[in-house]
Amino acid sequence: MEHYIILARSVTYAQRMQKSLGRAGIRCHVFRPPRDLTDMGCAYAVRIAVSDLPGALTALHRDGLDPVQIFLFQKGLYQEVEA
Amino acid sequence: MIYFDSAATSFQKPASVAAAMWEALAAMSSPGRGGYSAAARAADAAFQCRSELAEMFGMKNPEQVVFTLNATHALNIAIKSLVPPGGKAVISGYEHNAVTRPLEALGADVSVASAPLFEPEAVTAAFNRLIVPGTDAVVCSHVSNVFGFIQPVEDIAAICRSRRVPFIIDASQSAGVLPLNMGALGAAFIAMPGHKGLYGPQGTGVLLCREDVPTRPLLEGGTGSQSIQQQMPDFLPDRLEAGTLNMPGIAGLLAGIRYVRRGGQEKILAHEKHLTQIAAQGLAAMPGMRIFASPGLRHQTGVLSLTVEGLDVESIGSALAERGFAVRTGIHCAPSAHRTAGTLDTGTVRVSFSDFNTPEEVARLLRVFPGALGRAF
Repeated sequence: MEHYIILARSVTYAQRMQKSLGRAGIRCHVFRPPRDLTDMGCAYAVRIAVSDLPGALTALHRDGLDPVQIFLFQKGLYQEVEA
Repeated sequence: MIYFDSAATSFQKPASVAAAMWEALAAMSSPGRGGYSAAARAADAAFQCRSELAEMFGMKNPEQVVFTLNATHALNIAIKSLVPPGGKAVISGYEHNAVTRPLEALGADVSVASAPLFEPEAVTAAFNRLIVPGTDAVVCSHVSNVFGFIQPVEDIAAICRSRRVPFIIDASQSAGVLPLNMGALGAAFIAMPGHKGLYGPQGTGVLLCREDVPTRPLLEGGTGSQSIQQQMPDFLPDRLEAGTLNMPGIAGLLAGIRYVRRGGQEKILAHEKHLTQIAAQGLAAMPGMRIFASPGLRHQTGVLSLTVEGLDVESIGSALAERGFAVRTGIHCAPSAHRTAGTLDTGTVRVSFSDFNTPEEVARLLRVFPGALGRAF
């Protein structure tokens, strides 16, 4: 199923993102993304529905939580997209 | 045992603290170390604890809340982040060894803003004289661990802000008892234990960090983030939290914080001051007794020091222990405070209260005290 993942720099940052998105009425899930999506080693991310991306970015920007990277999961592959 | 040593650690805890710790042992592993449910539960508890601390102390960002082993650990990080070897610091006359020893180890040039006990205006004036541009850090305990003296950290913070000097507050005796707003004070760091007025377990502490203040890790190691990089992450809390977190402790601390917030800091402080007042009045009536109390306890929390003419403080403590009372005697790891108050040669007996003490317990202390001293009053 298609979705976006928004990378965070740490688990705490991902939790802040989750809280921010929750306040905006956007459901998300904190999880560990595939290893090859980041060259920094261990990472955390939030997963959101495709239709939620614009609202999610607005909410995160409002709370000063800039995504490290954003990926679209489609047809079994991750593709980085512009924030 | 009747426990009157809560300035050291609040031995009696809410039942919810032990329950939360047990639950953590049973259901939580380590935050930031996996995507499985036990790691997620641990991450949730740690985040909740950071968030509630941030709310309680007027901070916007829970990432600026760092878990430590205790207040000493937190103070070491704060001091060593700001004061370089041979740097310049200004401290109050009532500091604990947790402040003075790190500064000594750094070979810092330390000026002491010395002022008489329970005279906050004199404390402010002393800091005002000593804080100059170029001072690396000002460090002040909000409340003296020996005398319960409430120091004017708001006024000192204002001086520091106006002279652009970083301010470190040691909230060891005030966290959970007195209001402290990190945002309003503009302090660089506030250090506190989890195991005193916040009613968490021993082995917990907290360092609140202002966002624009650089931090220097005391320890390097795994953080569960940026693992390929060999330098510590440049963001908090990971930068200052190398190694596995004390999850049972943090879960217990969260329960303790909720106990304090539910009951209300003001009510807890009022209760402790009430007990202090009863103790001070009763003890002051005994011959040979010297009580260190602020008139009306205006500048004092629930901590009371005393000496008895002609008697060694340790023997008083031992006699009280034999009668089932836990009090603290000696120098209380704060020779600087005793030097300022003129009690370095004798030390003091310290009686300190928590929300769990009662007026009846204080009345019992007053009844046994004369006998414990082996003197007929």
